[in-house]
Amino acid sequence: MNLAWKEIKKNKVRFLILGSIVFLVSFLTFIISGLANGLSQDNAALIKDLPQGQFYMNEDADQTYNLSKIDSSTQNEILSKEKDAVAFSLQMGFLNDKDNKQQSVAFVTSTESDLFEDVKHEEVVLDSSMKDKGIKVGDTLTNNQFSGKFVVKGFVDQKKYSHAPVAYINEEDYKEIYRVDEMQMIFLPDGDSSKEFAGLESFSNKEFLNTIPSYNAEQMSLNMIVWFLVVISGMLFAIFFYMMNVQKIGLYGILKAIGLKTSKIFQLIWTQMAIITVISLILSVTFSQAFNMVAPEGMPFTLTIATTTQLSIVFLIIGFIGATISGLQIRKIEPLQAIQQGEA
Amino acid sequence: MTLFTIDEVRKTFTNGEVKEEILKGINLSLKEGEIIALVGASGSGKSTLLTIAAGLQPASDGQVIFEDNNLTSMSSEEVRKVRASKFGFVFQFAHLVPFLTVEEQLLLMLDVSESKLKKSEQKNEVDRILKLVGMDHRKDSYPSSLSGGEKQRVAIARAIIHKPKVLFADEPTASLDSKKSKEVMLLIRDLTKTLNITTLMVTHDEEMLAYTDRIIKMSDGVILQDAL
Repeated sequence: MNLAWKEIKKNKVRFLILGSIVFLVSFLTFIISGLANGLSQDNAALIKDLPQGQFYMNEDADQTYNLSKIDSSTQNEILSKEKDAVAFSLQMGFLNDKDNKQQSVAFVTSTESDLFEDVKHEEVVLDSSMKDKGIKVGDTLTNNQFSGKFVVKGFVDQKKYSHAPVAYINEEDYKEIYRVDEMQMIFLPDGDSSKEFAGLESFSNKEFLNTIPSYNAEQMSLNMIVWFLVVISGMLFAIFFYMMNVQKIGLYGILKAIGLKTSKIFQLIWTQMAIITVISLILSVTFSQAFNMVAPEGMPFTLTIATTTQLSIVFLIIGFIGATISGLQIRKIEPLQAIQQGEA
Repeated sequence: MTLFTIDEVRKTFTNGEVKEEILKGINLSLKEGEIIALVGASGSGKSTLLTIAAGLQPASDGQVIFEDNNLTSMSSEEVRKVRASKFGFVFQFAHLVPFLTVEEQLLLMLDVSESKLKKSEQKNEVDRILKLVGMDHRKDSYPSSLSGGEKQRVAIARAIIHKPKVLFADEPTASLDSKKSKEVMLLIRDLTKTLNITTLMVTHDEEMLAYTDRIIKMSDGVILQDAL
């Protein structure tokens, strides 16, 4: 007999209240997590979208890519040895649109590679968010440090850096704008930390992201909020399941007295927890994914199915622990005690 | 034929450094189909004796032999199995499961006792027992809509649906008025006689003794009188 479901059906309001708490807390966690991921993408999609590998910058740069310069001989040596390696540079800057309005961008240039856009002299490929600023393919953009003009050749999706849209430009044009002769970094796809080059310091993708000013602090704060919410919801789950089950101590005692196995009582508690949590999580995932689709354009919000699945599993584990803690309390109930307590 | 033997059962409770002996070496035999009333003042040990016999709490010393098996030396799981399949319980309050209908209360008991009946046979058996206790017209009702007497009738039906050998009844009429108490006692007597169930009952109500075969009077943890 499915006692768990029968009780839920009979006490809809009680379980609806518990379910709505699970729903609200998990929904809030998904939304905050979506914002954290969104900000993370907004801050470093350019780097995060690269495959796993190793980044190299000058040892004297003090782990700051802005200060890194890789001399040409080292760059040529690495690029000739490693056919997939790419040298690249990135700097924050401005482009002036046709109305002479300054648009903040992150200029990126690289040696020939599939990982970065191949752009010719006086051409620029922009992140698609620039379309919202009224910029179209064929438009001419300028830069105060550049003698020529950039013609917009196309747009790429979700390429941002430091909350600014990326602007891919040609290596020579970049060198003219920033008055430099060297590239800042080398990226070696599929490389591991065992590959070392004299005078260069290597970083994994994650390590490199952490060298980006503000990225680490921003992500730490947001992840702290997400995990704080997870812990709070865990405590809420445990308290609510506990309160709900403590109210039924008398009933469980009588069931034990007539011979119901304690394992069946645990089964009842776990089944109710699973039903409530799964239904609430399905609703949370649906609503948060719907929000993902309708979130305002300017709002950095990225919520992947992988993230929601991961958090949902955490919530299920928390729910299971909460239910088990209250179950352990019930395990100790003596049938006699329940009988003597009177009508439940 | 003797079904149940209680042999030199003692029960001592410790409260801090004070030890209190509630049962002081009880000897008792219960015959098949007998209705036995345990009477005595509060604190005489009658309820403690009933709960020890029913396997709801262990004895400090002595033996409880049921169908040649010593309950006092069994594991708690073995005692639970005996309780589920061979014993029935009626308490002062009906203690029905609030979210199950009358029919489901009885089906649950068949489930707990690991009944070998098929689903359809279980439903027929539930109908039969509900007719016996006069509650067949309320089989789809929830406990909250039943009166005290009706609840107790359902509790009796639940206690006998799995054909137990022994029915333990702890003050089964204490929460009912005089008229309903007599109805319930009559029902317990008729059913246990029809189904040959041994009944051990604790009661304060002297009027209920008219429905029993044997009266055991207890005082201060000992049997004062055992009368037919």
